[in-house]
This record gives sequence, structure tokens and C-alpha cells, in this order.
Amino acid sequence: MGEKIKLEIRNMTKLYKNNDGVRNINLKVKEGELITLLGPSGCGKTTILRTIGGFLKCDSGSILIDRKPIEHLPPEKRPTSIVFQNYNLWPHMTVYENMAFGLKLRKIPKAERHRQIMEMLDLVKMTGMEKKYPNQMSGGQQQRIAIARSLLLKPEVLLLDEPFSALDAKIRSQMREELRKFQIDLNITVVFVTHDQEEAMALSDRIVVMNKGTFEQIGTPADVYNNPVNKYVAGFIGDMNFIELADKTIAVRPENVLIHRGTRGGIKGKIRATMVLGHYSEVTVDTKHGIIKAFVSCENSNIFHPGESVSLSFTKFHEYDKKDLAS
Amino acid sequence: MEKRTWKTNLFIAAMIAPSLILTMGIIIYPIINTIVTSFRSSDGSGFSLEYYKFIFTDKIAVNNITYTMGIVIVTVMGSIVISYLLALYLRFTDSKISKFIGTMYLLPRFIPQLVAVYAMITVIRDTGLLNRISRLFGKDFRPGLMYNAKGITLMNLWFNIPFATMIIVASLSAIPDSVIESARDVGAKKLNVFFKMILPLSFKDVMIAMTFVFMSNVSAFTTPYVIGGNNPIMLGVYLRKQFSEYANYELAAALSVVMFLFSSVSAVIYIYTNLKEKEWEKV
Repeated sequence: MGEKIKLEIRNMTKLYKNNDGVRNINLKVKEGELITLLGPSGCGKTTILRTIGGFLKCDSGSILIDRKPIEHLPPEKRPTSIVFQNYNLWPHMTVYENMAFGLKLRKIPKAERHRQIMEMLDLVKMTGMEKKYPNQMSGGQQQRIAIARSLLLKPEVLLLDEPFSALDAKIRSQMREELRKFQIDLNITVVFVTHDQEEAMALSDRIVVMNKGTFEQIGTPADVYNNPVNKYVAGFIGDMNFIELADKTIAVRPENVLIHRGTRGGIKGKIRATMVLGHYSEVTVDTKHGIIKAFVSCENSNIFHPGESVSLSFTKFHEYDKKDLAS
Repeated sequence: MEKRTWKTNLFIAAMIAPSLILTMGIIIYPIINTIVTSFRSSDGSGFSLEYYKFIFTDKIAVNNITYTMGIVIVTVMGSIVISYLLALYLRFTDSKISKFIGTMYLLPRFIPQLVAVYAMITVIRDTGLLNRISRLFGKDFRPGLMYNAKGITLMNLWFNIPFATMIIVASLSAIPDSVIESARDVGAKKLNVFFKMILPLSFKDVMIAMTFVFMSNVSAFTTPYVIGGNNPIMLGVYLRKQFSEYANYELAAALSVVMFLFSSVSAVIYIYTNLKEKEWEKV
């Protein structure tokens, strides 16, 4: 990843008739960076992606790629390429024809076209599939071809709109790894949209956490996980316990909760249940502040029994003022 | 599966019998009867092809066939082209007007044919609404649409555009936006998107709409009877004339068979396009 800014969004606003949309968006994406727009559905992440791709016109502000404004261009003239959640491939064309279509429009000679397509199929490990139609392939294979088709056109910025959310969990994590590998190997700039925080954490160089059309926090996965700037981000990324006090909210991650037998910790409570979740266990504790969740290692989990009186202390926590809890 | 006993077979036969007998009585028997009649010879001596020969050699009969085909082909082409444009507009434009048209375009399907034909006559005849409006401006505009092919074709379009639009709109709605957007994304301009994506993906349904429009118009009766002239006449009117006015049952029978064959050409096209699944359409 270089220091050069590949994509820049300046003061962009796009509102729909019902006043939903995004307001005053500013974002700089470096060359070779994979940035994720993360947020619940309706937060405007897809809107931003579609305005970059040219499928929506922004009301104001500008979008620059390599410092050239592109917001006035139609999708076919933009140096971007988009992959949607599904139905990306043209159903009446084979894999080969799907991949050749964009190259033909660019008037690339047949032999060169063939060479590039075969090379790309090899890269995405789909050699031998060129004569298949989309409906003869699995969802994962279709998305892989859709991404390959986009990469073939060497876009300046690759836009991915929840490309893996229609796939099942196992394929999804496999595709994620592969995408990350291509992206680093080919040094492509990617804007990735997802509502899946786990996916965002796993893939991204930086995450943009969005809420109701605005950015709440931009940072590396570790940044947004360890130092969420507000209660919204704290709640959206990872597991978090919230303890409501008179003037503030304490947010603490389950792995930062220590359970003590006896009264050493500050907060008293009773064990409610323990649940083994693989290499760690989740222990829920009833306190006067509500239920608090703690992660403990498996060896320690069987020393706590439901109904037992314990106390809790926190190794690390965040405090948020009640005033900005409105969000 | 259990082996069927003769009792179950008998039961099945008994259940099918009523509809089978009814079909035989009102469809199969008249068809056979018509075919047999059409091959009868005029002197009653046996079977011959003379009525068929007449249909394809007699000047008036041939004239009627070409007249009918001309009207039907213009109707099919006209209604498919207009419907396709309308369907494209309805599918890809999101405005109040397109929504309004989207809810209204099927209305003509709900108007009885005869009512619609007479309503149209009051507008297009040489002393009709158009003429009266022109007179307000001191002109004397005579549309000249009555008693000729133009009037029939106009009326046919009126009936068939909503129908064909309905089929094509359904077909275009089945094309996901992402298919079109990804085509534009890789650099396809609007015309390219149309010819490479939209048209191939809706082609089959266009063919189906065409065959339906063709079949219903080749045997049309009401419209040509009310709006059409005296010569040439469309096959439906010609058939009725031979049957009711001249009591020429053999010729009428032969005409029915010929009309049936014309329709079956498009029926074959329909069945062929429906059965022949392209590789990409198979699930």
C-alpha cells in the first residue's frame, strides 16, 4: 500500500426523496488499500458505493480518482468496476463470453483477449470453466468469476457491494481470504461494503463505521475494536457489555471482564449460566446493572456454577458521556 | 409404487370418461367432420382436392388470403414494436407518468370487443370525432380509415398492444438491475446494453407474444366484419360468408382447415421456442 491517494470523496451529499441518504462525506483511500464501509442496512454504505460507481448522481461534492473528478461521468466511462451481491454475471453468456464482453468493448484483439482471460481464470483457479453458463456454477464460483471479470478490466478502484453475503459461511471466509490475497498481490484499491463486522475486521486495512448516513469512526480494525469513539461504534463492533450509570455509560468487552470468587471485584453478582464456545467459554453474570457477559478460558469455565455469588472487575473499559448517547 | 389392479384402472377410466366423451363430442368429432367435408367433391362422387385448389387459385380467394396475411403481419410487427418500446419505458423509467401508464395500459383488455370497435368507429369515421374537431378549425379532415385495411389494423393494434406489452413487461421485469448495471459498468453504452443484454434475455417471450398475436388475428372476425370493406375481406369474414350466405359448406370447411394450418405454423413456433431450452436456461 502506497501513500498516494487513489480515491477521494469531498463533501459529497446524496439524499433521496424521503431525506435518507448520506451527508457531507469525506474520505481518502490510498492506492492499494482495502477500505470497508460497515454499518447496518439503510446506513448509506451502498449509496456511497453506487455514487462512486456512477449508478447514482451525487447532489453535491465531488469524487476524484487520481485527482481527476469523475462525478459527472456515466458508469461506462468511469475507471471503476463494481461487483454486486448477486446476479452479476450475464445469464445468457458463458464464463468466457462474460469475461470477453468488456474486453471486446475496449477493442482488444481476439488473441490478446484470449490470453488475458485464460491468465485471469488461472489466477482465480477457475480454469476449465470457460464454457459453463452461470446457472451451472455454485454461488461462490459465480462471485469468483464476477470478481475476475472486474479485475480483467484493470479498474483503478474495485467496488464490492456485499459480494459474499449470499454465500454460506464456509465459502464466505474462504472467498474473503482469496480476495485479500489477490488484492495485495495485484495492489488494487478496493472499497468494500458489508454489514458483517466480522468480515470487515478480517479483510480491511481500514474500516469506516457508518450510522444513518454519516461516518462515526474511521480506523484500522484494531483501532475501532480497541478504541471505539462512541457508544454506537462500541456496540456495533464486537461483543460489548454496557453498564448504565447516572451520568455515563461504561462499555467493557467480555474478554476484559474478570470473575472473582468472593468480593474482590467491584461489582457483585450471581453466575447465571456458562456456555462452552470452543476454545473459550461465555459466562453470564446477573448484576444490579443487568446481565454482564465474560469470556473465560475453557479450563476456568467449570469452576463457576450457576447461582454462585461472584464479583467482577474490568481490566479495560471505555466511558461514554450520557450526553452523546442520543445516537 | 404399488402395482395397479384392474379395479383402479377401471376407476381411472371412469373418472376420465366424462371429459373424454365431452372432448370427443365437441372438439374431435367436428374437426374430423370438417376435414372430411373439406375433401368432398362438388358432384358428390367422392373425395377430391378441388376446394383447396379453389382457395389457392381463385382470384378472390387468393386476394383474401394475401389481404389477411398483410393485415396480420402489420398487426404483429406493429404491436410487438410498440409494445416493446412501451415495455422498455415502463421497466426503466421511474416517474409518475410511467406509473400511471403502468396501471392503465391493460384497460383495453377489459372492454368488450364489439363495444370497443363501435367506440373507435365514432372517432375514426369520416363524420366522426376527428372530423368534427377539424371542422372547428375550418378544415374538413377525413381520416379514411373505415372499410379498408387501415381501420382494421388500427383496431387490431388497439387490442393487441396491451396484451403484448403485458408479456414483454413481465419478461423485462425478470431481468435483474444488476445484469444491466454490470454491463454498463464494464463499458457498455445504452444501445449495447439493449442488443447484448436486454434483447437476448427477453427474446423468447417476444416470440411467444408474437405467436399469440398472430393466431388471434389470423382468424379475427368481429373487427373485420364491422370495420372492413366488401372486397377484399379477411378470412374469418370470408368463411362466414361462404357458410351462412352461400351455404357452400365444403368450401367453408376447406377454408377452416387452411386457417387452422396458418395458425398451427405459429403454434409450432410457439411450442418450439417453449420447448427448446437454450443451455443457459436449463436449471
